[in-house]
Amino acid sequence: MLFDEMNKNDQLVIGDKSFSSRLFTGTGKFNDQQTMVAALKASQSELVTMALKRVDMQHRDDDILAPLIKNGMKLLPNTSGARNAKEAVFAAELAREALQTNWVKLEIHPDPKYLLPDPIETLKAAEMLANKGFIVLPYVHADPVLCKHLEAAGCAAVMPLGAPIGSNKGIKTADFLEIIIEQANIPVIVDAGLGSPSHAALAMEMGADAVLVNTAIAVAGNPIAMSEAFAKAVQAGRQAYLAGLGGQSTQAIASSPLTAFLEASL
Amino acid sequence: MKIHVNEQTLELAENSNIEQLLIYLDKPLMGSAIAVNQEIISRSHWADTILNEGDNISLFQAIAGG
Repeated sequence: MLFDEMNKNDQLVIGDKSFSSRLFTGTGKFNDQQTMVAALKASQSELVTMALKRVDMQHRDDDILAPLIKNGMKLLPNTSGARNAKEAVFAAELAREALQTNWVKLEIHPDPKYLLPDPIETLKAAEMLANKGFIVLPYVHADPVLCKHLEAAGCAAVMPLGAPIGSNKGIKTADFLEIIIEQANIPVIVDAGLGSPSHAALAMEMGADAVLVNTAIAVAGNPIAMSEAFAKAVQAGRQAYLAGLGGQSTQAIASSPLTAFLEASL
Repeated sequence: MKIHVNEQTLELAENSNIEQLLIYLDKPLMGSAIAVNQEIISRSHWADTILNEGDNISLFQAIAGG
C-alpha cells in the first residue's frame, strides 16, 4: 500500500476527536501574530495550545483567537501558572469558559527554573478534572508508573517530556518514553524539549502517537519554514514506525553478497 | 456603584450585568472568563448576572502559550 493511502486511514483519536496531523503546536513565543498564524498553518497542526492570564487592565492584548478558529484549529488551553491541583482545576474551569472547550493540557510546574511538572499535584488534579468531565492531557515527567496512574485516573492521553520546556535539548528521556509507549493504552504525546525536526522524527519512530512543539518553531530563524520541516519530520517518523524499523546489531551484517570474485580474478 | 476588577476599582452603573461590564471595559467576549467573588460565572449567565456594590471581579483572557 502506498504511504499516502496508508496515511489517510492513520488517524489519531484522542477523546472525542480524531486528528490527521500528529504534530501539535503551541502559540507562545512568536515575534508577532502574523508569523504565528502562518507558522501554525504551515505545520498543518490541528491542535494548538493556549494559555490563560489575568487581564492587565492597562493594556489590550491582541486577539489571537479569531485567526486560529478561522483556520479550523482545535484549541487546547493549558493550566500554566498553576502551582497546585486546586489552582489547576480553577484554571481549567476558567479556560473552559473562555474557550468553550472541555479539553485541557494539565500542567503544574511550581519551580520556575526547570519548569518540571509536579507529579503529586498533577495526579490529584487529573482525577478531579476527569471526574468533572474534562478531556485531560497531563504534562508529566517521563515516568512510566505515573503515566499508568494517570491513565487509570481517566486521562485521555499523557504528555511526557523529552527535556525541560523550551530547552531544545531533544529526547533525554528516551529509555523511559519507550516504556511509557509500550505500556500505554492511551495516546502518548511527547511534549517539551524537542528542539529540531530530527528529535520529533525520533519520537515518532519510537512509536509516540504525536509530538507537541512550540519553542523550536517559534524561535527559529524562519518559523514558517521550520514549521514545515517539523511537519515533514513527524510524517517521516510516523511512516518509519508503521513500516517497521530494522533491528540493530553490534556486528556488521553484509548488505552485499561476500563472494570472493575479486580474489579469484587475480 | 463601585466594583473591583483585577484589583482596580471602577465606577459602574447600578444593575449592570457581566456582559455590560465587558463591553464597558472594551474586552472581547470570546476568549474571556470571569469570576465574581471567586466563583466562576458560566458564559450563559453573563447577561443575567447582575453585579453588586463591592463585588470582586477577576477577569481572565486566553493568550498565546505552549
